[in-house]
Amino acid sequence: MKNYCAIIAITLSTAMPALAAENHGGDVVYTKAVKTVLFSHKLHVEEKKLSCDLCHARNFVMQSLKAQENDDFTMKSMMNGKYCGACHNGIMAFASNTRCGDCHTGVKRGGA
Amino acid sequence: MKPTKHDLSMKNNEGTENVPMAERRHFLKMGLAITGIFAGGTIFSALSVIDKVFASTDEFTDKYPYKPHYGMMLFQNRCIDCERCIAACGETNHVPQEGYRTRILMREMPDAVGLKREFIPVLCNHCNVPQCTRVCPTKATYKNPENGIVMMNTSKCIGCLTCQLGCPYNARYFNEEKHAVDKCNFCFDTRLSLGEKLTACAAACPTGCRVFGDLSDKTSDLYKAVHQLERPIWVLRPEAGTRPNVFYSKDVTAVTFK
Amino acid sequence: MANGAETSVLALTDLYPMVTTRLRSATLGFYTLLLSCGVLFLVAAGLGIHAMVAGHDKFYNVYREVPWGILISTYVFFVVTSTGLCLVSSIGHVFGNRDFMPIAKRSVFLSIATILSGFFVIAFEIKIPWRMAIYNIISPNLTSNIWWMGTLYGIYLVFMFAEYVFLLMDKHKPAVFCGFSGSVAGIAAHSNLGAVFGLLMGREFWHGPYMPIYFIASAMMTGCSVIILFHCLGYKVNGEEMPASMKNALRVTAKLGVLLISVIMFFTTWKMITGLAGRPAGKYEAVMALLNGPYALNFWVFEVGLGMVFPLVMFVRSKGENLKMMLYGAIAMIVGIFVMRYDLVVMGQLVPVFHELGVNEYKHLLSYTPSLYETIITLGGFGLTAFLFLLGEKLFAGHKVEEHTTIHESIDAHEEEHGPVFQPSYAHTEDTTL
Repeated sequence: MKNYCAIIAITLSTAMPALAAENHGGDVVYTKAVKTVLFSHKLHVEEKKLSCDLCHARNFVMQSLKAQENDDFTMKSMMNGKYCGACHNGIMAFASNTRCGDCHTGVKRGGA
Repeated sequence: MKPTKHDLSMKNNEGTENVPMAERRHFLKMGLAITGIFAGGTIFSALSVIDKVFASTDEFTDKYPYKPHYGMMLFQNRCIDCERCIAACGETNHVPQEGYRTRILMREMPDAVGLKREFIPVLCNHCNVPQCTRVCPTKATYKNPENGIVMMNTSKCIGCLTCQLGCPYNARYFNEEKHAVDKCNFCFDTRLSLGEKLTACAAACPTGCRVFGDLSDKTSDLYKAVHQLERPIWVLRPEAGTRPNVFYSKDVTAVTFK
Repeated sequence: MANGAETSVLALTDLYPMVTTRLRSATLGFYTLLLSCGVLFLVAAGLGIHAMVAGHDKFYNVYREVPWGILISTYVFFVVTSTGLCLVSSIGHVFGNRDFMPIAKRSVFLSIATILSGFFVIAFEIKIPWRMAIYNIISPNLTSNIWWMGTLYGIYLVFMFAEYVFLLMDKHKPAVFCGFSGSVAGIAAHSNLGAVFGLLMGREFWHGPYMPIYFIASAMMTGCSVIILFHCLGYKVNGEEMPASMKNALRVTAKLGVLLISVIMFFTTWKMITGLAGRPAGKYEAVMALLNGPYALNFWVFEVGLGMVFPLVMFVRSKGENLKMMLYGAIAMIVGIFVMRYDLVVMGQLVPVFHELGVNEYKHLLSYTPSLYETIITLGGFGLTAFLFLLGEKLFAGHKVEEHTTIHESIDAHEEEHGPVFQPSYAHTEDTTL
């Protein structure tokens, strides 16, 4: 499992920048307010076919991990429709107060 | 005679949103009762566990023999494996790098509908019928007669490690620095006895996954979390017969944030 | 023992020249062997003390989930052996079956040697053994099987020691009393050792009444093989021809061995079937690991092959007369039983306690391989047994049962009660089998 993760991490770190420049931002692992929250561009852009503007116009700037520097980058804000909660509201996508383990991938997954 | 055919597609769908709340509750309770029976007691309401533990003993005028009777409820779906509890525990109780008093296990189900990953925090269950204290040859580990916490008297520990084998929860480890087996004691020496109301892990938890409290206090959050029928409650490894004081549950509806 | 000798047959002043003459009679080969066993024991003791001082975790491969390793299984092996020696030999000199009488002295001596080896090994597995000496007495926990086992084995050792002294002094009555008490203490202690494992709820491979019962049966089985091995070796060391009475004793021991191997085969068969039928959680995984998994070699080749089938064939084919066959059978059986104890101790821990939860951390069986330190300390235990055995052979001149006293006394006593005995039963075999 560890090796597997390491291989993915290495592939991501070497192959992704080239891809990301024209495609999407790859995996983003947030470390605040809690460790290891995974946002997968692959899932949202490639599989769900969502446009960049959907998030990057309003909720998130293009620079990754910028959002977590804000004090209000919390679950409570999301419940109030901010950040991920803009879509993860139970109507467009599963509500941000359910299915915790889907985004919070856990420290032992080797995220951060 | 042919049975009359009902074309279900012709019926109007009432829609679940039209089912009144009381009806839903009733349905949930029924489901709970049925699963409780079918799971052979693996899933049961906490009330029945408690009755089982103490019903036969007269001297327990109340259901709980200790005052306070410490316990913990873990809302499993709230755990996000941020491991703040582990860090706080390690810092508070000087747990060495190679050991741990509490840990978070991960269960993954890639083919599951909806949520595909969950975390299960584990710690000493401070059992009502602890096996570790039974097998210890020198009474180095014992159940505190006042609050029911399973504790260690490190100076008596001979290091035979039978308690580690007796524990069905892998809650014990040998601490080379202390020269004795070490385990969770609900932060009794480091917090509770100093007037704190919560254990380090419960205080550090950002999601309210760990509810620590006094089961003998009817006003406590823990008492309310345990004494209800709305949510299923279970304990780990009930077949080991240890009657734990650490319970598990899930918020069936959505999580609320502080 | 010096005191014992003084009060009975000889004065203390005679003892010294007697012992020195006996030791002088030994060959160079004997001394080389004795010395190497002693060195092995000392090296093991040194490493054990080093691990104890520097921290067991650095030198042993046991860990949180598998806290008991080869040192515990070796301890179990030695106490199984000791109890077996005590029980099998007591058939003769305690319960009066004359066929078994010639093996009494050496067996009692070896039961002391093996239990000391067991204590030696476990002293290095227990992390803080000196606390045991104190708190076992001032803070006993009467619900703990470990406490009972330790205490009863302590009593057992005292009785066995006293019994041996009385046997040396040819004091039959107190020897029988001590032998009987020792057997009772041994059975109680040993079944408590089984209960240490058997009473752990939540360890499915061990849990249940099987373990205490199985431990006693397997102790008897081990006793038979060890008696055959050490008596054959003993006569070799002393360079003497085995007398007919001894050959007869080994013949009945082998017979008893056949019975007990069959019992253990029966037990093992049902143990395995219990673990398979209905796939009981926790037990099934362990049993499958033995039958068709990482421990299949241990189980089929060592436990079943060497431990049961081969000795069974050898003992039966030898008809109790072919000592070589019996010796080979006994050696194979001892190797097999050692692996049996190892598998039993390790296997019970390899199914993780949270296996049923289906979490990533505990999806698979755990693993354990002994470290170098653990292996050497294990060998040191065997070194101690061998050292004491070799020394005993010379010091006590082959543990001869003085026929003019012990056997004849008991025949006289028997005749007083039950009328005349025509001839000692071994005389009969002398005629027909030799």
